[in-house]
Amino acid sequence: MSESDRRTLALAGANGVIQYDHNHDGIDRRGFLKCMAWAGAGAYCVMQGGVMRSFALGGLGGKNKEELKGELSFVQISDSHMGFSKPANPDVVATLQAAIDKINALPATPEFLLHTGDISHLSKAEEFDMVDQLLKNARVKDAFFVPGEHDVLNDDGKQYRERYGKNTQESGWYSFDKNGVHFIGLVNVMNLKAGGLGSLGNEQLEWMEDDVKHLSKSTPLIVFAHIPLWSVYPEWGWGTEDSTRALGYLKNFGSVTVLNGHIHQIMQKVEGNVTFHTAMSTAFPQPKPGTAPSPGPMKVPDNELRTVLGITDVNFVQGKHSLAVTDQTLA
Amino acid sequence: MEMNRKLKFCLVVWGMLLALQLVGDAQTAQGAGQGSTGATVDVKIDNFSFSPATITIPAGTTVKWTNRDDIPHTVVNDDQKFASKALDTDEGYSYTFTKPGTYPYFCSIHPKMTGKVIVQ
Repeated sequence: MSESDRRTLALAGANGVIQYDHNHDGIDRRGFLKCMAWAGAGAYCVMQGGVMRSFALGGLGGKNKEELKGELSFVQISDSHMGFSKPANPDVVATLQAAIDKINALPATPEFLLHTGDISHLSKAEEFDMVDQLLKNARVKDAFFVPGEHDVLNDDGKQYRERYGKNTQESGWYSFDKNGVHFIGLVNVMNLKAGGLGSLGNEQLEWMEDDVKHLSKSTPLIVFAHIPLWSVYPEWGWGTEDSTRALGYLKNFGSVTVLNGHIHQIMQKVEGNVTFHTAMSTAFPQPKPGTAPSPGPMKVPDNELRTVLGITDVNFVQGKHSLAVTDQTLA
Repeated sequence: MEMNRKLKFCLVVWGMLLALQLVGDAQTAQGAGQGSTGATVDVKIDNFSFSPATITIPAGTTVKWTNRDDIPHTVVNDDQKFASKALDTDEGYSYTFTKPGTYPYFCSIHPKMTGKVIVQ
């Protein structure tokens, strides 16, 4: 991991203890603004004055309604891996349902739900069906998706696009506007090259450049894709090879938020005008970068699993680390 | 005295390994002579890596990859000469190499995972 990648890592460890990755020497922290970790099966995101704030779904107990109000609110969930049944979590249905229960308990109905990929584990029809069925019970007005690599297995994403890609381009990228915020959903899990990272590809990048060209620079942007659009840990493939070019198109915008999944843990970093967030999985945790021989599912004791998925343990987050705040002006 | 005993033990083990290796080579060579009905070499997929990552085999040998991870993987040749579907835990994929050459491959889901088959 490079110096800049290391500088703002903060993670919720398997035991629920918040650990800041401050033990690396020679770190340039000039770009460090704020970095907090929270536990949550999903995130409640609210636009306030053009800047996105996010809260762990499990940590909203202590918040009053006013704090959660804004121009627009939505929820992000990720990495449901429907079909996964190994010891790291033999019941991914129950943990996704728990996330949905949290969404339904929100004081205000979010505008929509955003799923940042790996909906299924093996791209099987019955896996997608199960998620669709569960999400039907989520009290949200709409739902948006981007594919994870587990959603495009064996058919180059054909089934994924049939189900979720109705109004999308090519491999499934698209943009839309809600309440003055411009959302861009990107696909970085297709046509991956040997030895490489996530990839957007030239065609998608050209589309993106054109998509933002005519927007006012004061338009708040929210970009979402499955694999992180910043170099979290390239050694494990946790990054996107051409994300720099994508972010280059956004450099003159005042407020840019990037939402990703894939790494099954929370990380945040602010760099210039861009705030990066990665979400937890509703299915199983993965190890912190470089702390295990591989990024495979992390097995934790049964009574700790939901803590890592952040679903039941409100007390753990409340008052201490429940909040992931991005309260700096990003301009 | 103690050292001598250890040394002898090591030599015996080494000798046995050498013998096994010779038998193995003979079997592989025999397999190659029979075209595609040759020997099978196993490659394990474990901890997000191919093991062994590089293998050298005579033409006609079949390579069988088996996924031992909790996460699906694929085996895809860089030039698309062979490609498996997503292999779930304990699922396998076999391919018989008939032509000499070097065949780099990777997991198309986790492209950091790479391997190579050298066919002589």
